Amino acid sequence: MEEALVRAPIPPDLRKILGVESKTSSKAEAFTRAFLKNSMQRTSKHDLDSMLSYKAVILGFTRPQKDKSKRSSKRAKGLSAKQKRKMKVFQIKPEHQRYELFLPLHELWRQYIIDLCGLKPTSSPQSVQQKLLKADFHGAIITVVRSKCPSYVGTTGILVQEFKHVFKIITKEDKLKVIPKRNSVFEVEINGFISHIYGSKFEQRASERSAKKFKVKGTIDL
Amino acid sequence: MAGQLKDREAYQRLNYLYQAAHCVLSQNPENVELSRFYSFTQKTIARRLVLRQDPSIKRTMCKKCCSLLIPGVTATVRQRRKNRKTRFTVMRCISCGQSKSLLNNPDYSLWADQPEAQLQPQKQTGPGSSGEKQHKKTKPGESVSSQSSASTQQQQSISSSSGNKD
Ligand SMILES: [Zn+2]
Repeated sequence: MEEALVRAPIPPDLRKILGVESKTSSKAEAFTRAFLKNSMQRTSKHDLDSMLSYKAVILGFTRPQKDKSKRSSKRAKGLSAKQKRKMKVFQIKPEHQRYELFLPLHELWRQYIIDLCGLKPTSSPQSVQQKLLKADFHGAIITVVRSKCPSYVGTTGILVQEFKHVFKIITKEDKLKVIPKRNSVFEVEINGFISHIYGSKFEQRASERSAKKFKVKGTIDL
Repeated sequence: MAGQLKDREAYQRLNYLYQAAHCVLSQNPENVELSRFYSFTQKTIARRLVLRQDPSIKRTMCKKCCSLLIPGVTATVRQRRKNRKTRFTVMRCISCGQSKSLLNNPDYSLWADQPEAQLQPQKQTGPGSSGEKQHKKTKPGESVSSQSSASTQQQQSISSSSGNKD
């Protein structure tokens, strides 16, 4: 009986007060799963295994004394590169590489680009391209049109991560592809407006492009 | 006002990245990595262009690993008490363990929300968090509900809040 109470939808009057809405069962299940996984106590066994296999352990009587000077500073320090590598901060796990999960992201991106460029038939392509230069491309559907390596040509997918030298895109076949920017030309389409991105000119981190000034004319050798 | 805002594109980009991080998490609550990547990009853009982010945004991001803090999904929220009067809301990031605590004080308003901040734009705006005063009449339940509701509202109206900052 209590379980039924837990699964009951939120009454409409409460819904208004709280400002929340019931979700569809599939979404609710995904949330519950993640919530339970996060709430469970992490077993230290896994850590123990890795510690024993890679490190020499000295057996002694005394417990290591806690470093008191370290505890005094409570400020967040950020992660070191080593910790980042160990945590795999930005690596998408294979089970999350599913095309359908990123479709809402693409929809959000479309709205963002339309809002940013004000895409109308009257607007000049130059002004739109100027804005696109500093826009964000996470969530866009991109296609490789030209490349020095022919096997990349024709790959289409949603761009999920942009790094300094590569794009990570997810294709319709749920594959995560890593495509180098250098020597490739990408195509982005928004409401019939097609724009080409010369990857060789884009070789910066996603965050650096916002601040950078682009030269109007440059030689493009591809 | 939004028309002649200097870094309009950059603000739109920050707004989009913040929303994208939410979008990814709402689709798949376990894909913390991608949402963290977007938040990290957002943070680095703001740092490079020297744009101030609203406190409501900063409070939903982990200072250490940059992941989005959503109660129950990527963070745990607990009520802690120091002594009889002062109570704190402690948010702890699940992935890296960094915690941030906010004083429960229903009377506290951010510096940016106070009328003085709007009147004298040329004056240097002081850091909002350091001005927290301890008031006696703090009831944890009230303050927490007001805090959380405010933050959700700000999340929805984030485009307006980021646009109106300057
Ligand atoms: Zn964290």
